[in-house]
Amino acid sequence: MNLKDLLSPFFVWQRAFEKPYTSMRPTIDRPGAPAYRGFHINVAETCVGCGSCHTICQNHAIDMVPVEQFQGRPGDSGLRPRFDYGRCCWCGLCVDICTAASLRMSNEYAWITEDPTEFHFTAGVDDKAWQDNEHGYRRAEGYHLYPPKRIEMDMLSPEESVQSFDEVARGYNEEQAKKEADRCVECGICVATCPAHMDVPDYIHSIRDGDYEKGLQLMYRTNPFPATCGRICTRRCESVCPVGILGEPVAIRWLKRFIVDQVDAGEYTRILNNDAVVESGHRVAIIGAGPGGLSAAYYLRQYGHAVSVFEAQASAGGMLRYGVPSYRLPDADLDKDIEYIVSLGVEMNYNTRIGKDISFEQLLQDYDAVFLSTGLSVPSSMRIQGEDHPRVLSGLQVLADVANGRDPGIGRKVAVIGGGNVAMDASRVSRRLGGDVTILYRRRIADMPADTEEIHESQEEGCTIVPQAIPVEIVDAADSSQVTIKWGEAEMVQDPKGGRPRPVLQEDRMHEESYDCIISAIGQGSNLDYLSREIQDQLAIEWGKFSPGEYQHTGLARVFVGGDVANRTADAISAIEDGHHAARGINRFLNPDAYPNNNTSPDTTRSEGEQQ
Amino acid sequence: MNTVDEILDYAIDQEQQAADFYASLAKRAEKAGMKEILLEFAEEEKRHKERLLAVKSGDHELTPEQEVLDLKISDYLVEVDASDDISYQDALIVAMKRERAAYELYSDMAEKVPESNLRQVFVGLAKEEAKHKLFFESEYDERVLMDN
Repeated sequence: MNLKDLLSPFFVWQRAFEKPYTSMRPTIDRPGAPAYRGFHINVAETCVGCGSCHTICQNHAIDMVPVEQFQGRPGDSGLRPRFDYGRCCWCGLCVDICTAASLRMSNEYAWITEDPTEFHFTAGVDDKAWQDNEHGYRRAEGYHLYPPKRIEMDMLSPEESVQSFDEVARGYNEEQAKKEADRCVECGICVATCPAHMDVPDYIHSIRDGDYEKGLQLMYRTNPFPATCGRICTRRCESVCPVGILGEPVAIRWLKRFIVDQVDAGEYTRILNNDAVVESGHRVAIIGAGPGGLSAAYYLRQYGHAVSVFEAQASAGGMLRYGVPSYRLPDADLDKDIEYIVSLGVEMNYNTRIGKDISFEQLLQDYDAVFLSTGLSVPSSMRIQGEDHPRVLSGLQVLADVANGRDPGIGRKVAVIGGGNVAMDASRVSRRLGGDVTILYRRRIADMPADTEEIHESQEEGCTIVPQAIPVEIVDAADSSQVTIKWGEAEMVQDPKGGRPRPVLQEDRMHEESYDCIISAIGQGSNLDYLSREIQDQLAIEWGKFSPGEYQHTGLARVFVGGDVANRTADAISAIEDGHHAARGINRFLNPDAYPNNNTSPDTTRSEGEQQ
Repeated sequence: MNTVDEILDYAIDQEQQAADFYASLAKRAEKAGMKEILLEFAEEEKRHKERLLAVKSGDHELTPEQEVLDLKISDYLVEVDASDDISYQDALIVAMKRERAAYELYSDMAEKVPESNLRQVFVGLAKEEAKHKLFFESEYDERVLMDN
């Protein structure tokens, strides 16, 4: 070692007092090009947290993270993209795929900080100077990585459709289905919104793979009525599909139908492999063979419980058979679902009315648990003068007559009162029976609770909707084969206490018109006469409906409820989920040792029910 | 009824009678869940009574000039019996029609009394009843006519 080696450290120290060669800030203010791919900007309020940016990023530079001010809700996961600028290569794919067009890039590229963790940031949430930057890369107008429009379903023309009860929607072919499946970004926002939480992205993926057997297996995990729901589901999934923000939502319902249509019913047993069920020795009675009751039956059989279904009608299906017309849901497709459920060893007792043929108390005595899913079968009354006129028919009765092959005797000139799905179905059925149909509805068309597709199709098929028309009286017509309805026009008035506008009758604008029949379809209620007053008091009933506990259980031990008579949505998919959930609840109740924190045991069930 | 206090006493008594009516119907109600609903109606009538008591004591003023929305729902519905197996729909119809009858009674009285001070009291009471009618009609519109 020489002297220089010994002294050099001291010479280095003198540099510490010199001006540094590196600069804390760029000395030249040189803005990025207008379309520069700089730091990300996200409009967090518009973003729905679909995670498409995260999925498409090839560098795994984006994580979806929960953000306090955005709670998960239908159509919004509550997550927002968090960027890692150690990984980002500024390719802009995330911007190109963004379903909500909330994500873009600024032309800022200089970011100086002494804290390297800052280069992980949640765009639009963490406060950054470039959030309001007007420049930078954004997706060109009209440019989409996936087609914004859905593949059109082949439909019978309105002129053809009113000629028969043939199914109006003809179904996708394989090429159409694969093209439509390719539009799915597999975000899963739909899964949270579907009452049955169907695994939509994965079963749509099975179409891309051409593996329809896998698709069927995925669907049956949470829904044993895929042929039915593939046709008539209220498809809340589509209402939240992020692809629908800039274009049309993925046709989830039609894709579900496509999968089921590809698989022959004879293959179900092999594909779904339900032979491995081990019998539990427990017996469960189900009242009502609608979607709720049969969904419960399917999943109870998976648990190995013996199931007996009691149905007042001659066939299973409930409203799906006697309320939904065959041009929307052909019997053969409904039967495909039902027959597979029954084939698992479900004992069906048709034409058996509880309370008349067998008492409810008897069922409680004979079975380990009872599930009630008796639906809403009683037409609501208008309670206006003359409603009991023989030419006033109920929508439910007209639909049931047609389903049973009977002539409901509607005549030619028909008025339908109501704005729900039953009103639309009764109207379209009447058109097929040769009727000229006028629909009277007390609010605006936009307020109609019926599916918008049904409203649209009823109009296309020639039904005339008269909105803001309030029926006030029904009287004899001059022609004794007819009936006259008096109705008045309504003005929509804002409710001073908020809520939706209310129709107010304008007594100076009254009308009257005679019809061959008036079909009343203003809603339906439950019939719980099969339960004694003592039993009803223990079941927690509000507004004519059950108020079940967490596992569809009630205040009466061993009794579970579900379907339209126990939920607010009153649609098939909710009933199916109720049935599935009740099966879980019943299984927990029947196997208390397998569930240490069981809350459906007789004691807790009773106390919870009483608290409701 | 010649004085403001006499008129208010009559109106207060009517509200108490309405509360008693619903309470007694609740005792007899056969349909599941109706007992609770009718007891809620009775509570609503008691709130009406409290409001009028406050008017009488000077803690609250009637508002004869206030416009109250009239949905005219009950006007065209048939009369129903307050039977033991009364349904929710019929219970609401009974309630709406009772409020409507009270509204019409006070409106008639307002037209008949010569003294403007008393007339204002009757108009104010009629407006109170119109508000009660709106309450039950809104409920009917929300719950019974929800699909229509």
